Amino acid sequence: MSRIVSEKSLNNKLREAFNGNVTVHIENNCIRVTGKLDNWDDIIKACRMCVSKDKNLHVVNDIQLIGSKIPDMRLPKEHSKELEGERPDVLIVGGGISGASIAREISKWNLSILLVDKEPDLALQASGRNDGEVHPGIDLNKGSLKQHYVLLGNRMFDRICEELDVPFKRRGQYVCFSNRCLYPLIAAFAWQRKYICGVKDTRLVGRRELRSAEPNLNDEFSFALYNPSAGCVSPYGLTIAYAENAVQNGAKISLNTAVLDMDVKNGQILSVNTNKGTLYPKIVINAAGTFAEDIAAMAKDRFFSIHPRKGTNSILDKKVAHLINSIASAKFIMKQKKTNTKGGGILRTVDDNLLVGPNAVETYEKENFATDRSSIEEVFNKQKKTAKGLSERDIITYFTGVRAATFEEDFIIEKGRKTKNIIHCAGIQSPGLTTAPAVALDIEKMVIEQLSEMQQVTRKESFNPKRKTIPILREMSDAERTRLIQKNPDYGVIICRCEEISKGEIIDALNSPISVPTVDGIKKRVRPGMGRCQGGFCMPLISQIISEHENIQMHKVNKSNTDSYITLGEAKEASL
Amino acid sequence: MKDYDVIVIGGGPAGLAAAISADKEGARVLLIEREAKLGGILKQCIHDGFGLVRYGEKLSGPEYAQRFIEEFHIRNIDYSVLTYVIGIEKTEHYTVRVVNTKGVTCYRTKTIILATGCRERTSKQISIHGTRPSGVFTAGTAQAYINILGQMPTKKCVILGSGDIGLIMARRLTLEGAKVCGVYEAKDSPSGLTRNILQCLEDYNIPLYLSHTVTRLFGEDRLKAVEITKVDEKMAPIFGTEEIIECDALILSVGLIPENELAESLHVEIDPRTKGPACDQDFMTNQAGIFTCGNALHVNDLVDYVSESGELAGKAAARYIYKDREYISIDTDNEFLYFLPQKIHIRDIENEMTFYFRSNQVLKNALMTLSVNGKQILKKKYRNLKPPEMETFKLDISQFKLTGDDKVTAALKGENP
Repeated sequence: MSRIVSEKSLNNKLREAFNGNVTVHIENNCIRVTGKLDNWDDIIKACRMCVSKDKNLHVVNDIQLIGSKIPDMRLPKEHSKELEGERPDVLIVGGGISGASIAREISKWNLSILLVDKEPDLALQASGRNDGEVHPGIDLNKGSLKQHYVLLGNRMFDRICEELDVPFKRRGQYVCFSNRCLYPLIAAFAWQRKYICGVKDTRLVGRRELRSAEPNLNDEFSFALYNPSAGCVSPYGLTIAYAENAVQNGAKISLNTAVLDMDVKNGQILSVNTNKGTLYPKIVINAAGTFAEDIAAMAKDRFFSIHPRKGTNSILDKKVAHLINSIASAKFIMKQKKTNTKGGGILRTVDDNLLVGPNAVETYEKENFATDRSSIEEVFNKQKKTAKGLSERDIITYFTGVRAATFEEDFIIEKGRKTKNIIHCAGIQSPGLTTAPAVALDIEKMVIEQLSEMQQVTRKESFNPKRKTIPILREMSDAERTRLIQKNPDYGVIICRCEEISKGEIIDALNSPISVPTVDGIKKRVRPGMGRCQGGFCMPLISQIISEHENIQMHKVNKSNTDSYITLGEAKEASL
Repeated sequence: MKDYDVIVIGGGPAGLAAAISADKEGARVLLIEREAKLGGILKQCIHDGFGLVRYGEKLSGPEYAQRFIEEFHIRNIDYSVLTYVIGIEKTEHYTVRVVNTKGVTCYRTKTIILATGCRERTSKQISIHGTRPSGVFTAGTAQAYINILGQMPTKKCVILGSGDIGLIMARRLTLEGAKVCGVYEAKDSPSGLTRNILQCLEDYNIPLYLSHTVTRLFGEDRLKAVEITKVDEKMAPIFGTEEIIECDALILSVGLIPENELAESLHVEIDPRTKGPACDQDFMTNQAGIFTCGNALHVNDLVDYVSESGELAGKAAARYIYKDREYISIDTDNEFLYFLPQKIHIRDIENEMTFYFRSNQVLKNALMTLSVNGKQILKKKYRNLKPPEMETFKLDISQFKLTGDDKVTAALKGENP
């Protein structure tokens, strides 16, 4: 075992900082921190103090939080035996961008693949709650897995998005500076990033070029770091596209399916218990986001910890899209604490909304997606300095996501340490969307290598890398649109007036490979309700379309989860 | 491409009145409606009280609309329902591109009347935070569920905002057997009409809490509770006054916003006070041949005035001849919440002008004056003025022989109660 970390000196530091309430032991190749504290921020601080330079040695947080209850994982209400006795070659736990991209890459092989997610749709946690930036990697130094994969992943986006028919735009990213004196320092930084770290598109742009590209940014900016390779994509759109392509190639996806525990013997997962029965997978892939540590613990292979960190973004009306053409943020150099992810910015999405944020707040609640007025204020106070004309008045909605950070702030992409038939894809936070295509390829290799030891694994001749999306009528030429409407008149009936979405597109979403017949499921696939009226006009119509298409009563139509009913039944007859 | 003199966009009360009135003037008219049926929002307004000013009768929304729909059909005016305008291009005249079940079609027209109505403000626009459960409805959406689809949206709810639709929904839901815990209003006076406060709340013992707002939502799947907080004079929440109320729905009636996305695409100037286009006495915007009326112009208190503005706009559009107009703007003081029209075109004034205004605050024994170059030309007394209640008056302005150098001002004075 590497001894870069001295247990003794760490314990001395901890004793001083936490009055002897926290101790650390280096055991089983982990830095295990134990004790009791009554403040979550102190727990984070204690664990951070213990982070080692040795990349294979992770901090495991076993400090007990006194006085507050860490909520249990929210579980789906339904129970069945639907999956009882299934024996997939590969079980993927988690339907975020990681799980979905892995499923798609493995579907190139003649293997049985089952992906489970406890939520009623894909990408309902971190993968659907981020700004969708495809990062250039400018903020990462050499040596981390994040940095390694961000360069690979970024380059893959044009091809992947073309194959999966997902809108992707390389809008470019500006990190702006006001203080001219910083120029030599930033120039040196840019050189290092370009030639040492391999972020080849990095360059500095002066005031004039910045002004002509982005006339609405703060006039005080004198130069900016520019990466034209930065892009944007719909993060849930890409996740759904990956998953649909996996399904088209034979993978099976089971939503509302939670892993509850595992039977592990002699370093081998024998079975996996879910609310839909017991499964007997050959290999398990842990892509469970903020719950990756819990899954690792079930597999008796817990050697890292996740400390959730939430962030809130605001979505602005398309009317103000003209404020920014790219992705922009400002660096005002002050005595700033080193922050863990970038401090937010303004991004123009593929759909031409502006996204403003996110901030970063440590939390012990992995699934508390509630928003706060203060988060919005914090972000806007900062970002109004980036772009003049930015206003809270143009907010149409906001959302919170929770990042699955490890204390080392890096990814964990490796085979199990004690348990042989698990592969971890954990600690995936920003830039996890950018890295996903590249990470998925490496995990594919690991899976094939391991399965090849047990059985013959062959390539699927019929694998089709192309997935076709639902037609987007509003983007078509009049002639093409007319042609489609004449084939299917539903394409001519506009249901969502803000986003110009037709009934035909909504029905296509209900007929898509992974149909989620809820108001939110439709919204994620074809955007009704994403506009400025936030579904005020179209929600009743969509309830009606779902009800008719699925042949269910209208009060059985949900917003999202089982208990998120919209109406209670017929007026007068409703069980009041 | 088919040619029209007037294309009316929107088949609600404003658009129907505009189309009928333009047709009466002999214009070739096309009305475009995005929903399947004519009538606009009136289709779901099954309560009474419509038409008092116009017909001296208390009609329900659908009954009121039906009178116009019948006349519209008797006149055989061209119309297209389930048809959505995807763009308007300025050519020699205007080209309106629409999509419907037949495909994309273009129409050419000399003038356009925007009768696109308004939309409701949402919970996010008034900064409500917390979780994102189901059970948060704008009042109009809740009304569509119950009155159009026959679906009950709640059994126990809180209503935020005392706008008219909120008050109507308080009564409607109560009649359907739901419990309305109360109507909460952030302002210190109600936003809706006095008659609705009396008939919808007091008659049903539904409490109204002024200077209160909803600050937070609870519940992961369906709404479980809301946090109510008192607010100060600036409508900022007062820390420490929070109260949790259990309910399964929050119904929002926190304001209406004229829908002017099409107008904006045509570079129509928008008045920040009305949030509708700035217009002259013909209801024409700053873009030649583009007219506006109804709730797209400003949020009216009564449908009768919506129809009236539609009729006036329809007539003006039908008679419109392309010609440069000379304007003088009307200066108004800050006692007005807004004042319409914003400007007068001074050549060829034919008819008496119709004015609409609202006061900025509750005023007693108020005096509204209209002056030309400092000389009063009109004086009107009002015993009570309230922001929720719109006022209107007519004046034949041709008698003043206005020229481009004249200054027209409107002023409002009154006592604070």
